[in-house]
Amino acid sequence: MASPAPALPRRYVHPALLASVFVIATSGIVYELVTGTLASYVLGDSVAQFSLVIGIYLFAMGVGSYLSRYIESDLLERFVDIELGVALAGGLSAPILFKIYASYGAFKVALYLLVAIIGVLVGLEIPLLIRLLEFSLDLKELVARVLALDYVGALVASILFPSILLPHLGIQQTSLFFGFLNGLVAFGCTFLFPMPRAVVLRLRGRAIVVLATLGVGFFVATRFVERSEALYFGAPIVYAEQSPYQRVVLTQTSRTTRLFLNGNLQFSSDDEVRYHEALVHPAVAALGRDPRTVLVLGGGDGLATRELLRYPSIERIVLVDLDGAVTRAFSNLPVATKLNGGSLRDPRVVVHNEDAFRWCEESTDSFDLAVVDFPDPSNYAVGKLYTDAFYHLLRQRLGVRGVAVIQSTSPQYARQSFWSIVTTIEASGFTAAPYHVYVPSFGDWGFVLVGAEGLAAPSTLRLSRDELRWLEPSTLPELFRFPRDTGRVPAPVNRLNDQKLVAIYTHEWGQLGR
Amino acid sequence: MHRRAFLTAVAGGWLAQASGASSRSPAGGILGAAASVGHLLRDGGVPAPQGPPERADVVIVGGGVSGLSAAWRLREAGLDVIVLEIEPFLGGTSASSDDGAAPHPFGAHYLAAPNPEARAALRLLSEMGALTHWDAAGRPVFDPRLLCHAPQERIFFEGAWHPGLVPLDALRPDERAELARFSEVEARMTARLGADGRPWFQIPVDQSSRDPEVIALDRLTMAEWLDREGYRTRFLRWYVRYATLDDFGGEPEDVSAWAGLHYFAARKLRTPELEGSHFLVWPEGNGRLVKALAAASPARRRTGTLVTRVAPLAGRPGVEVVAFEPPGRAYRLEARAAIVATPGFVARRLVPGAADRGLPDRAASPWLVANLHVDRPVDPDLPWDSVIWGADGLGYVDARHQLTTLSDRTVLTYYRAYGGVDVASTRARLAVAPWGALADDVLRDLAPAHPDLRAETSRMDLVVWGHAMPRPRRGFLGHRPFEVPTTLADRIAWAHVDQTGLALFEEAQARGVRAAESLADALGKDLGETWL
Repeated sequence: MASPAPALPRRYVHPALLASVFVIATSGIVYELVTGTLASYVLGDSVAQFSLVIGIYLFAMGVGSYLSRYIESDLLERFVDIELGVALAGGLSAPILFKIYASYGAFKVALYLLVAIIGVLVGLEIPLLIRLLEFSLDLKELVARVLALDYVGALVASILFPSILLPHLGIQQTSLFFGFLNGLVAFGCTFLFPMPRAVVLRLRGRAIVVLATLGVGFFVATRFVERSEALYFGAPIVYAEQSPYQRVVLTQTSRTTRLFLNGNLQFSSDDEVRYHEALVHPAVAALGRDPRTVLVLGGGDGLATRELLRYPSIERIVLVDLDGAVTRAFSNLPVATKLNGGSLRDPRVVVHNEDAFRWCEESTDSFDLAVVDFPDPSNYAVGKLYTDAFYHLLRQRLGVRGVAVIQSTSPQYARQSFWSIVTTIEASGFTAAPYHVYVPSFGDWGFVLVGAEGLAAPSTLRLSRDELRWLEPSTLPELFRFPRDTGRVPAPVNRLNDQKLVAIYTHEWGQLGR
Repeated sequence: MHRRAFLTAVAGGWLAQASGASSRSPAGGILGAAASVGHLLRDGGVPAPQGPPERADVVIVGGGVSGLSAAWRLREAGLDVIVLEIEPFLGGTSASSDDGAAPHPFGAHYLAAPNPEARAALRLLSEMGALTHWDAAGRPVFDPRLLCHAPQERIFFEGAWHPGLVPLDALRPDERAELARFSEVEARMTARLGADGRPWFQIPVDQSSRDPEVIALDRLTMAEWLDREGYRTRFLRWYVRYATLDDFGGEPEDVSAWAGLHYFAARKLRTPELEGSHFLVWPEGNGRLVKALAAASPARRRTGTLVTRVAPLAGRPGVEVVAFEPPGRAYRLEARAAIVATPGFVARRLVPGAADRGLPDRAASPWLVANLHVDRPVDPDLPWDSVIWGADGLGYVDARHQLTTLSDRTVLTYYRAYGGVDVASTRARLAVAPWGALADDVLRDLAPAHPDLRAETSRMDLVVWGHAMPRPRRGFLGHRPFEVPTTLADRIAWAHVDQTGLALFEEAQARGVRAAESLADALGKDLGETWL
């Protein structure tokens, strides 16, 4: 059954229709940007990804435009259906891609398929719209207005996307939001054009289903983190995963990559070199011999391992990090391997995703050096890794005159926490040499060198100046001097059966928040 | 809880309901065979023994902590020792299971760091590596991994969880003041020595003071003592009731004030390492101690065996033991000596003439222990022990708390002591109660704090302890406190906490060791220095 020709008065186009053209144009570009951005996040190499996505998208639009010639009857109903199709495919593109993010093969297939589908559907839109309006306006007027609006929409989208949408709305919300707008256009068309009642009801029914789907999707995505995270982190999220243990979030701007675990900054690429050079190289120097075997506890980002691999004497690094989500991301994501130099895939490195406490209990290996880089003791689960019981286990994993270095939170913000860690280390029979370093992202940060009796602060490094980017022998003594405002204070031993450190730590950092 | 996890849980719950799984009920059953088998002793029906007697040097009747400690004491004597246990498992009320997401207890779930006087207990802990060394002041130092990890306890009080066993913030000032007064008295009594120079309260119990001033406390019930001392607030009264139920299975109205105060004032060990918690906790509770005791002795062990008679041989030195392995055969054993490591009411039925030896006649408290196998992630910020104010039970412990690894399943062990005066009718009711009714009771009792527990529980195993522990009622110390018969007949020694009336691990061990050592002469063995 052919629909009757639209009977609008000649030379009149309802402003709502023009607004629709604008929305259609804007969302078309937004989907392209969303998929392009996700492609570059996940697959790396943003130039290649963006040009590929743009190419496929434009080509698919061309295919759509060509296919429009085969649509001969029920123009209006087809147009509404296509709008709804764009709304669904475009709106759900980011959520779908996020969902299958983990499997790289499926991600690529889904990505290009989605880009092609959206492109074809968007390509169908404008030709059909022009044909729908051909009785309302002269062809030259029609083409001029529709195409002008189309390109203005593209400009608006290109400006809004990086400046407002991505950082403040979040990538999933952006795609869902514009899908919703597309759906509204479809819904609105059923009011603007006269159609048989049965058709109208059918179309509105479909539109409502699509709008509800996208609305719920938006609500769910908003409720759970994405939007608030984008606001919270103040940068686009490149990777986000809720592992069984924590929420892992990587953000990236043009110059800085940051890792957050449960919202706490773990490193910023701006100054992680300071942190990791300070963590690794004084310990190697204090060892006083070429390290051959190293145990890394925590440090799933592979950055400490990157520093360790600079020593040719190292034959084996065992890295124990609880969270496979972190070590997988930092083994595979281009944005991550660029930072750690692919250290986690180095043949000398063995990764175990296990609880460090349990691993130390069960292992019988011994190591020259241990690098202990756990998150701060903000809860009991992590706090146990700062107890005398744990340091006893650590001692058993160190060979004769082995040395360990322990990340020990900030002596500036959490002074008593820092010295409680030192006290606990000493109570476990270690000799401790506490030191600190200024890391702009974190503030003044503390570490403790631990070893057998006779351990002393190193005065030289075992790498040449060229091999390091920040640390140098002349600054070493300064690290081991504490100014008066961060110097030693009385602090309790942290034991499994009281975990006093957790209370002190949350108190000290809590005060900062107020 | 993470919001996503919450929503997923909500959605999961909803889906489960929508798919008709709302009526999901845990599977499970009642473990142990003691009631039906043990009551054969009372009711008769054991076949006559057949065949020639089996030989052993020492037969130990009862594979609980006393019996296993006796076998442990005899390990170096080169004797053929056999332990006969009625239950299908060893350990008595310290038994445990290794089945499920974590080993879990059937009964006793912790050992407070023993006093230096509890030498047998410290010897065992040392053998296990749980006691690592002695500090400069001569005090024991324990493996820090075994002391109950923080956080230890929480209480569900008036609709919300509070850390610790005392919800200080939620209490009225008068309640807090009374608690403070009580803990001062507790500290004073802990340090108090009697005129005889012994501590007022000690473990092993028989090392406590005989000073009439402290013995006089036994003439009051705990409730009467609280009244006399003017303790009236609801929280303190609840707190003390929790204690008497927890240690003795009895209400303060039925428990001796001496015993009630012993609970608070007998633990003397104070070291920096024990400040956070002085509880030694294993996932399977004191089941770990049972395993260690069993592993440290070469004795033969036979479970599922009911002993019906232990008597001196006629005409020659030695002991005859009649044993029955239901539903099979009954047989005789002949030994040079025997140790009856059972409660008094059983010993009286086993050993002819034992009733004339002045065995104490104690009521025994019935207990219900439920192990709930639950599918819920272990949250390290949750405590080991969760107590619900106003509930019938004593709360539950989480078997995975001491394991340092995370898991999405665990086992919760729920305890309920039936503290009322009329223990006999409670026991009779429990003996016939079906699993489903008891399981419902448990879930209902926990529901105020955990309305969703039924859906999370895949299995609930129950152990009904009809005679879980002696109840130290008012006057339980008797006219000659702590002087209880160790010998039931020639070459037959008695080893049980029933002797002194307080069911504590160290006490059970001391009684077992004492019984073993008392047989040295009869066995012609030099057992060396005492382990007590």
